[in-house]
Amino acid sequence: MSVDLPMPRVGPVAEHAPKPIRVVLNWGRRYSLWVFNFGLACCAIEFIATSMGRHDFIRLGVIPFAPGPRQADLMVVSGTVTDKMAPAIRRLYDQMPEPKYVISFGACSNTGGPYWDSYSVTKGVDQLIPVDVYVPGCPPRPEALLQGIIRLQEKIAAERVSGAAIGARQPGRTRDLDQRYAGHRTAAAAEVTRGLVTKP
Amino acid sequence: MSPLPGILKGLATTARTAMRPTHTAEYPDVAPDLPPRSRGVIALLEENCTSCMLCARECPDWCIYIDSHKETVPATTEGGRDRQRNVLDRFAIDFSLCMYCGICIEVCPFDALFWSPQFEYSEVDIRDLIHEKDRLGQWMATVPPPPALDERAAEPGEIAAATKPARGAGLVGGAGTAPGAGATGPGARMPRTVRPRPAGTGTRPPTPREPLTGTPESVPDDTPPAAGPPADGETR
Repeated sequence: MSVDLPMPRVGPVAEHAPKPIRVVLNWGRRYSLWVFNFGLACCAIEFIATSMGRHDFIRLGVIPFAPGPRQADLMVVSGTVTDKMAPAIRRLYDQMPEPKYVISFGACSNTGGPYWDSYSVTKGVDQLIPVDVYVPGCPPRPEALLQGIIRLQEKIAAERVSGAAIGARQPGRTRDLDQRYAGHRTAAAAEVTRGLVTKP
Repeated sequence: MSPLPGILKGLATTARTAMRPTHTAEYPDVAPDLPPRSRGVIALLEENCTSCMLCARECPDWCIYIDSHKETVPATTEGGRDRQRNVLDRFAIDFSLCMYCGICIEVCPFDALFWSPQFEYSEVDIRDLIHEKDRLGQWMATVPPPPALDERAAEPGEIAAATKPARGAGLVGGAGTAPGAGATGPGARMPRTVRPRPAGTGTRPPTPREPLTGTPESVPDDTPPAAGPPADGETR
């Protein structure tokens, strides 16, 4: 089900940039995170609360006005991911330009949460897409999302964007099975998606 | 109808909002003002845990992992029986799965689990969200004290039990209840298995309060049958 797009690259200058250049590039990336909210359940309400005036994550450089995934840098998956929704999540993630980041917000998107034993719920969004930061809670406080964003910004500040890292995020691109999926996961969206059940 | 009134109305709202002070919480710089009984993270007081597994069984998510084994404590006295006690090997809560319902804290009969309002433990690797018992124990430092009791409320059960007068303190002498036990000195111990009588029936001076270290095993077994069955259950 994944979208077959040409392999995104970073230029050799950006890949082998000396440290001062990388610091500047990462500084620009970490404070202009155009966010794309994949709100699927009640955790999305907390995400909306974080974006409103009281918590206001534009203070941290997270901009909630991305017109679509093609203009977004950060995807926040907040809510219960179902197997029915899994191909759409993978598809929209594939449409985001590199470098891209994912925050898994709440117990449901971390591991399935209370529905981990359900027939229709994906056991964590990291089965589908690589996740950078996991925010625990059911739902987490808005401040917990802010702390997750700060955690992600620290991670961005220390990273080196390379072609290999981008390639590892593509489904089925890498030969090494351990590098193909995020964390300890062993499946991708196409593999967790099932066809319709036939009528009895 | 001209659009002017609408524009004026909107500008008036804008002006009113601009005059109002901001209500943005400066979270990373200013600690948030969390409501009482906030459900942030579950802390474990390991000394209180008897690995009875009640929390793990009641957890709707099955996100608590407990491993324990039994150790044999050799008998302290000659000819005594060896005792067994549970030793906690692993206590882990998977906070990536936890639904923060608090049932484990409610069912814990020994007060080993507590709510802590801390929420800043998002992780880069999901495996780090399983907090083992050392990390759960570190959260104990962040557990707030219990809320104060109401005005003129009954004192808590622990304090009431500690300051309760010794059992049998007002007994009428007789029936072989060692009436002079309280009068022989401050170190003398009253039997705890004697039911107290109503106040005013005894004429002896009040006996000193019994030290808390007295256990039913260390009490001389001279309880009279008239004083009722050994009230071990009542001493708790």
